[in-house]
Amino acid sequence: MTTLTSPTSTTPRWRTALRRATDRRYMPVAGSVLTLVLMLVVGEMRYGGSSGFLTPRLVSNLLVDNSYLLVLAIGMTFVIITGGIDLSVGAVVALTGLVIATLLPMGLPLPVVLLVAVLIGSAMGLIIGVMVQVFDIQPFIASLGVMFLARGLANVVSVNSLAITDEGFASLAAWNVTFGEKANQFRLNAAMLVALVLLIVGFYLLHYTRFGRTVYGVGVGDAGNAIDLMGLRAGRTVLWVYVISGTCAGIAGILFALYTKSGYNLTGIGMELDAIAAVVIGGTILTGGGGYILGTAVGVMVYGLIQVLISREGLGEAWWTKIFIGAVLLVFVIVQRFLTARRR
Amino acid sequence: MSQATSPVVEMTGITIEFPGVKALDGVDFRLFPGEVHALMGENGAGKSTLIKVLTGVYQAGAGRIVVDGVERTFSGTDEAQEAGISTVYQEVNLVGNLSVAENVMLGHEPRTGPFISWRAMRRAAREYLARLHVDVDPGAELSSLSVAVQQLCAIARATVVDAKVLILDEPTSSLQKNEVDELFAVVRELKERGVAILFVSHFLDQVYEISDRMTVLRNGRLVGEYLTPELPRLELVSKMIGRAEGELGSIEARAHRVAESAHDGTPRVRAVGLGKHGRVEPFDLELFPGQIVGLVGLLGSGRTEAARLIYGADRPDSGELELDGKRVRLPHPNAALRHDVAFSSEDRKREGIIGDLTVRENIALAVQTVRGVWRRVPKKEIDEIVDRFMEALNIHPRNPAMLLKNLSGGNQQKVLLARWLATSPKVLVLDEPTRGIDVGAKAEVQRLVIELADRGMSVLFISSEFEEVLRVSERVRIVRDRVVADELVNGPELTSQVLVERIAQTPEKGAVA
Repeated sequence: MTTLTSPTSTTPRWRTALRRATDRRYMPVAGSVLTLVLMLVVGEMRYGGSSGFLTPRLVSNLLVDNSYLLVLAIGMTFVIITGGIDLSVGAVVALTGLVIATLLPMGLPLPVVLLVAVLIGSAMGLIIGVMVQVFDIQPFIASLGVMFLARGLANVVSVNSLAITDEGFASLAAWNVTFGEKANQFRLNAAMLVALVLLIVGFYLLHYTRFGRTVYGVGVGDAGNAIDLMGLRAGRTVLWVYVISGTCAGIAGILFALYTKSGYNLTGIGMELDAIAAVVIGGTILTGGGGYILGTAVGVMVYGLIQVLISREGLGEAWWTKIFIGAVLLVFVIVQRFLTARRR
Repeated sequence: MSQATSPVVEMTGITIEFPGVKALDGVDFRLFPGEVHALMGENGAGKSTLIKVLTGVYQAGAGRIVVDGVERTFSGTDEAQEAGISTVYQEVNLVGNLSVAENVMLGHEPRTGPFISWRAMRRAAREYLARLHVDVDPGAELSSLSVAVQQLCAIARATVVDAKVLILDEPTSSLQKNEVDELFAVVRELKERGVAILFVSHFLDQVYEISDRMTVLRNGRLVGEYLTPELPRLELVSKMIGRAEGELGSIEARAHRVAESAHDGTPRVRAVGLGKHGRVEPFDLELFPGQIVGLVGLLGSGRTEAARLIYGADRPDSGELELDGKRVRLPHPNAALRHDVAFSSEDRKREGIIGDLTVRENIALAVQTVRGVWRRVPKKEIDEIVDRFMEALNIHPRNPAMLLKNLSGGNQQKVLLARWLATSPKVLVLDEPTRGIDVGAKAEVQRLVIELADRGMSVLFISSEFEEVLRVSERVRIVRDRVVADELVNGPELTSQVLVERIAQTPEKGAVA
């Protein structure tokens, strides 16, 4: 049995720590953190100036501009870790925005409208979950169907951009607390707060609950076989991850409406792909089974930072952002490929 | 084991049907506390199905399950676990991307409120592993460990629940000898504590070493329950394969192709020390032009694994392979085909036929592979090949445009043979070429194999039907517990009876005989 045992008692503590740190499970996330640091260094060198590039204001702006994306990406992380995908979230964002914009003028109280918006998202997620789990339809197809459904419903609600003029909503959108001055100014708004709270909830749900660990177990790619044999319920878990993703999409729809103060049937086209890109850049394995919520947060930051760098560089056109995101994404997918190939 | 105690598990009349197959038919099974009960039978006899009924994976169509005096129906594995039935499955059924600690503890993880307490979980996992004398970092990713350690983690997991019944389905198939000893020590310890242990293994030695009682299944039916010391190996084997000893002896081997020393010169296939860890021990094998060598052994004994090494479907990790005296490496079946070695798989449905293609396309497949994907094989040439083989192999109905799935099993098998013969191989490896086909078709396939050998083809013939092997082979190799052992020359004195005896022998005795 000596071959099996490694005398941990005599192994120095630092060596165990080192091995843990270089564990291949952390490699993709380490890669995204490295990318983030690299981009910050480049930014500092090119636009550092007198006040520096990495300022509280930059971080604040990144979070304000991308809070809806962060929320989408958190939900998407759950789905992708199970080995699935949810293409419907962009359309759900458009639908909830329009629902808010039409329901508020009808005189419904704001909390009710917001709850309805979130529940619309949950319902869309539930449809996907049932199709995937009960009818054994591929997540790609199921969520594609719901994407068309949600986009179609949005067109039914309105084909025009509807401005949201409700006072309560406007004050919610305008609410913020600022700390510091000028470059050191950190502005905290409602959307950012919601996104950060969801980040913490997602983190605990995924890493500290039995449900979260089952999500990983399902993602191992044996159709939940091993998880079921362990006495855990794989099917229920798969259903729930789509409900989570849909709910996040509903919440992101609210945040996006707060951000733009309007609802429009053509918003969020391709937003689901942005969310997927952020999740993958954040180190979640696209084939399932591996990833971290905090990695996703890093991925969203990388995504936002690319946009910042592109605009600072004066390359105003949006496609430069796409090109860079695409390049970063390809690199990450290749890295993942090597990491998962070694696993086999 | 005293009969006075009442069984902890009693299953009666268990019947379960899958589409087209009756996997279990009225099987009775009982398990007493503090005993190791071996469930015996060939692959497909229904052992795993019975276990899955007991653990709640499958629901029996008919029959009763009584656990601890209470009749139960398990609709899920969690319910069976709650009833104290804990299982280590045949393949390591753990989640590779989670940590060792999670794999051992998940479902029973220590929590504070709704949240997993990682520190306590790792500590508990370490303790359970330590009881099995395994010392690994509980935080390590499971898939980074060797299969043997993973297997031990699975067993550690099974001991987390306070199990009354522990099911070990082929727990030793990936373990080394010393690891097996370690496992058996744990099993004995659990047995002392009054745990009832259901043990499944293909290794007869291990079964006789550890078990107190056995139940034998065959083709989904119960053969009987026996006390291990009262059932000699030979009897066990004949019960497993289902022929009375006398009957076995009476079948006359015919058409002996007596192997004179006509085969000299270079063998067409020569394996020296070829082996793969955990699949088949290193073996030597020689196969001359025009020779048919039979490989016999129980299903799962390693005969298919040996064939797969020769064909390049698996990569050996020791030894060399020579074809026509030249050393070759076959990293892939395609390479084997290029060296004129063809292999017909034992699993016709999964690894052989493509049911939704026509007979013609199925036959042409291997020819196309040999040519390369981009080189078109002229239609006329394919038609010619298809016509020739359909004629020669007497494939019915003689309609090349028919979908293969609509043909009978025997004809599907002949189409498969045609596919490989169309590549005009020099070496043909046939794994169970006559399984599941009727007697007439069997005879045709056998006749064909002999004809091919007469024309100089070398054939490695694997079959569970000893009479068949004896009918066609010049030499017979016994495969037992992953060891390709004794080479026997076929002759009038070599009968099924002898083969059964040889297979049942312990390796020690085999060395003397």
